[in-house]
Amino acid sequence: MNILNHFPIMSVMVLFIGAFVNALVGRKSSAARNGVTFVAITAALVMMLALIKPIMLDGEVITYWMGNWAPVEGWAFGISLEVDALSLFFALIVTVAVFASGIYSFTYMSHDDSQVNYYTLFLMLSGSVLGLVLSGDLFNIFVMVEIMTFTAVALTAFRTNYEGALEGAFKYLVVGSLGSTSLLVGIAMVYSQLHTLNLAQLSALIPQNASNPVLLAAFAFLFMGFATKAFLFPFQPLAADAHAVAPASISLMISGVLTKCGVYGIVRLVYCLYQNWDLPFVQYLVTGFGAVSMFICVTMAFNQHNFKRLLAFHSISQVGYVITVVGLGSILGISSGLYHAMNHTIFKGLLFLTAGAVQHQTGSLDLDRLGGLSKRMPRTTILFLIGAASISGLPPFNGFASKWMIYQATFQQGMSTGNPFFILVCVVALITSVLTLASFIKVSQSVFFGQLPEEYKDVKEVPVAMRVPMWILAALCVVTGVFPNLVEKFLLLPATNAVYSASAYIDHAMGADYAAAHGVFSNGILGIPASNCWQPATWLMLLFCVTCAVAIVALLGSPNDSKKLAISACDEDAEALDAKYESFFSGEEAVYSQVGGSDLFWGFKHNWRKYFSFMHDWHSGIVNDYTLYGAVAIAFVLLACVILL
Amino acid sequence: MMVVNYVGAFALIVLGIYCMVAKRNLIKVVIGMGLVDYGANLMIVTAGFNPGGTAPIFSISELNMATFFVDPIPQALTLTSIVIGACVTAMSLSLVMKLKEQYGTLNTDEIRRLNG
Repeated sequence: MNILNHFPIMSVMVLFIGAFVNALVGRKSSAARNGVTFVAITAALVMMLALIKPIMLDGEVITYWMGNWAPVEGWAFGISLEVDALSLFFALIVTVAVFASGIYSFTYMSHDDSQVNYYTLFLMLSGSVLGLVLSGDLFNIFVMVEIMTFTAVALTAFRTNYEGALEGAFKYLVVGSLGSTSLLVGIAMVYSQLHTLNLAQLSALIPQNASNPVLLAAFAFLFMGFATKAFLFPFQPLAADAHAVAPASISLMISGVLTKCGVYGIVRLVYCLYQNWDLPFVQYLVTGFGAVSMFICVTMAFNQHNFKRLLAFHSISQVGYVITVVGLGSILGISSGLYHAMNHTIFKGLLFLTAGAVQHQTGSLDLDRLGGLSKRMPRTTILFLIGAASISGLPPFNGFASKWMIYQATFQQGMSTGNPFFILVCVVALITSVLTLASFIKVSQSVFFGQLPEEYKDVKEVPVAMRVPMWILAALCVVTGVFPNLVEKFLLLPATNAVYSASAYIDHAMGADYAAAHGVFSNGILGIPASNCWQPATWLMLLFCVTCAVAIVALLGSPNDSKKLAISACDEDAEALDAKYESFFSGEEAVYSQVGGSDLFWGFKHNWRKYFSFMHDWHSGIVNDYTLYGAVAIAFVLLACVILL
Repeated sequence: MMVVNYVGAFALIVLGIYCMVAKRNLIKVVIGMGLVDYGANLMIVTAGFNPGGTAPIFSISELNMATFFVDPIPQALTLTSIVIGACVTAMSLSLVMKLKEQYGTLNTDEIRRLNG
């Protein structure tokens, strides 16, 4: 038996064993702690990289039956790990993010106490996430989701004295448990109908029973369970609360890794288990959820005054992009969704790490107080700008390539079906991208440019050990953006192919011809329609984006408007007497006035004030309300699935 | 008689969600989470139950359509799920304890420093 067949289970176990070894030996010495952590995360990364050749290039599927308990007479009773290209694609995302986060933690967390708990939980979180994407068993996915949620909650509250840490963790736990229960109920329903939990067997059996109402209800529960883990609308307040208070390395994990588990679950559920290729309702459902999330979250980001909370909303907005195109069900849609999922982990991880660097050096994340840090932290500024350019979709970074594919996918879908819904989604995607760019102009202005406040005069650049993982991610941003063809060949095409050919996945676990006997046939794909991201038209689009962003600033913040606003603002608020609210900027006083991030787009915010104040009240911060939104969403999807399908 | 169990399971889940949505006390919210969890557990264990079935100790060759036993897998799942549920409760209660120390209240309306 080939050693590679053992790599999936070994990579999961090495992380879990690392966690327990850490708890044993890491209490006293930081060298032992860091050593164990480093060995575990590196081993997991190396093993996943070693699997690229057989799985991605040769198209193999690795099935590992725990205790060698292979299926008997067509029934899979044993627990299995099954790795196809889709699983490996997400496993690579996970291990790379874990690696960057782990390296970063060594310095970033060095001032905290009880670090042994941190690394134990961190390794358990990593192991559970890796176990989730490699698992071939629905119930194991649930168990891994639960371990993931607990460790993430514990790590969110790790700095218990940090303002709001406990509160964010508690909300995450309560509403997250609603999602986990939804997942569990869905699993119970599937089991009661089909008496198996093996993903491969279910993939063969579920499409045969597609009209069974219990299975449709199970679809709704499972979908909402994964949507909770991806923090889709209406679960986005949790992400914002958790990110803002968690240590930056954990924000990276929550945004880069945990949301990807939700995305993985939705792809696996919709396209492998239920194989809803041409069902318009499912397309509307998934695409609609994605589009609403991406738009609402990007507008919410405008209102934020906390660096990481702002990034959190952008994070969900980008996950919204992924879910939107995944819902389209076209080859281009799925491949662009996967591409953007990967890119999102890279650039969002980079941004969270720069936010962590700012927090580490200045002790603050308040956008209204920070400023001018480019003079003190030039390298961090460059890294931040790379990340900001990537997330805003500027060439030559990776966000550009994947967003281009996303526009193309939605537009093509709209053109080929003639459905105005998809055209609308395409327009929303474009607007969201413009708003993302505008929002990151705001962040860079308020944190890195402008006046340097007196209290941050002595801020130093972050240590090298913290910059290394940031440079790794920044380099990945450039590499995956400049060579989209390589990414497509080595990662996207195999992963998309795996989504399309469930029969290979089924046959490898259940024995040859099992899929065909149950009416599942392979419809593998040969290539992804060209993404064309290096054509002149794309640069025109870029120009359009930049012009729109400039136009928002120029038109909405025009002198006449600001004068009116200044007057009305003066009436309401004494603070508004600050020189920066004057109609023109000159003279002694104005020179020393800091143009804060929230001042940049105030025209825009003023014109949309009703919407913003509604959304502000909607994100009330009360855990009961968030539970209510979640319960309503689950009930809505449940009713819609049972009635309309 | 299994219908009663399913109705009971969903009633527990709905009651739990009601408790989580309507009750403004953190402890009651945690109790609601527990109720939802028990409902889900009842549902799984019902899915595998056969009234009058025997213990599931067979080899695969002995199995035929007439063998009548209680499905063991849902019971294993329920056990796992109960353990997880206990952990959820323990963890959320410890968070509640810390929250009470920091905020001086258990009222959810006052624990909303993170909003907007």
